Amino acid sequence: MKLFGKRLFRPRSIWIRKIVQWFFLLLIALIAINHTLVENGGGIPFLSTASLHALCPFGGVVTIYQYATVGSFVQKIHESAFILMIIGFVLAFLFGPVFCGWVCPLGTVQEWAAKLGHKIFKRKYNHFIPTKLDKALRYLRYLVLIWVVYVTATSGRLIFAEYDPYFALFNFWTSEVALGSLIVLGLTLVLSVFVERPWCKYACPYGAILGITNLFRVFQIKRAASTCKADGACSIMCPMNIPVDSLTTVRDHQCIACLECTSEAICPVAKTVAFATEGAK
Amino acid sequence: MTLTAKPLAALIFIILFGSIAFTTVMGWWSTASTKEPITFSEGKFAGQYNPADIRGSYTFGDIENSFGVPAKVLAQAFDIQTDKPAAFAIKSLEEIYSGSELEIGTASVRLFVAFYNGLPLDLGTDMYLPESAALLLKEKTLTPDQLAYLDSHTIPNLTASSIPAAALIQVTESSPETESTDRLIKGKTTFQEVLDWGVTQATIEQIMDISMPNPLTKIKDYCLEKGLDFEIIKTALQAEVDKN
Repeated sequence: MKLFGKRLFRPRSIWIRKIVQWFFLLLIALIAINHTLVENGGGIPFLSTASLHALCPFGGVVTIYQYATVGSFVQKIHESAFILMIIGFVLAFLFGPVFCGWVCPLGTVQEWAAKLGHKIFKRKYNHFIPTKLDKALRYLRYLVLIWVVYVTATSGRLIFAEYDPYFALFNFWTSEVALGSLIVLGLTLVLSVFVERPWCKYACPYGAILGITNLFRVFQIKRAASTCKADGACSIMCPMNIPVDSLTTVRDHQCIACLECTSEAICPVAKTVAFATEGAK
Repeated sequence: MTLTAKPLAALIFIILFGSIAFTTVMGWWSTASTKEPITFSEGKFAGQYNPADIRGSYTFGDIENSFGVPAKVLAQAFDIQTDKPAAFAIKSLEEIYSGSELEIGTASVRLFVAFYNGLPLDLGTDMYLPESAALLLKEKTLTPDQLAYLDSHTIPNLTASSIPAAALIQVTESSPETESTDRLIKGKTTFQEVLDWGVTQATIEQIMDISMPNPLTKIKDYCLEKGLDFEIIKTALQAEVDKN
């Protein structure tokens, strides 16, 4: 907040991101509930009755092979998932994985669990896993991605749905949800009390794809070394443990473009950590 | 150029919902399988919907929309007691009539719709109707051949009306999303699934008498494309699946 041009206090978090996260979480939850209601002869007027598969951009990714070879979608996947996949890529090309940091409800729920972890473990939170091991584990999600694409391409079925915590989160009340996905969801939530966004860091195949765009996205997280106080606040705040204070441009494949490290949030010096294009000063 | 959180939030909304709105207007956005059957491509009925393409995932409401047969009439024909006949999924018929020795299912609805609207349908395979449906059809103008077929393919009504309405409504238009765990060949079954169920490619090709396409192709789509009778192929393949 500013008064006579002077900043009275600086928010420590990007509050608008929380609002956006809440919006998408409620929207998807309501649609999932409506889907169940319609199956039972009811329903909420003016609200989509789409299945969760129809609204998941990753569904578009796993059906690419079948679409290219046969011209049809994998069972349960529809045009909407394909379109959302393209939108996700456009957003990621411009801003990085904002789908992960701003939209994905599973990420939001993990952040809620993280709040509990912060309260319990204070500064120790999110630093339990040795750095070397943690760094290696971050590539696991690419193995998950390869496995998911392979089994979907060879079977023509959404095998991943049997382990998908996102599907379980919005379908735990239905008979459609598999025990495997409920277990993965439970594990994710428990681990979130120790590690921030464990599913995103180590297993999410969609995050793996979007993360690649961090290497070439249009808007990057940039740190101005000349004004940086080197207090490490940006690195401490980063949910993905990226050492922002030692980089001038964040190209880490794990960045979720949450902007929590920027001067708009945790960084105490104005215009020092910013979300900007290549030539920006 | 620098971007702060608020414009970024606005851009996310604009790009996401703007793209959805655009693709909706263009007719590309779809969150469910199309419920529009194929049409006859030639002859007297060219351009009209073909009842042979009615699928198990359709509801009575979908049939009403495509073929003009009222959902209430369909419910009466198949003796379904429900206050929401339009929401009734055709695939539920098999379960409801599971006590019958002869199958009442999707094929029965195809037969009923074809006779009701005077549309052609290949009668090469046996399709059966409950008595209540036959009675309704006899009020329409049928050819002697159709009447003879009807007489030899009618079975007594079961006690479908004793089934609670809630049980009948539980499968609705969105139920194609429910994954089948049984090994039943349906409209959405791919060749890969049949292979996974232990039927060899050689056997599949022997049944179809043509080479098998990419395994991810849906059997029904391929049958329609190659002019094969899906019901006959389905029955033969199902017999092979049941052996394993």
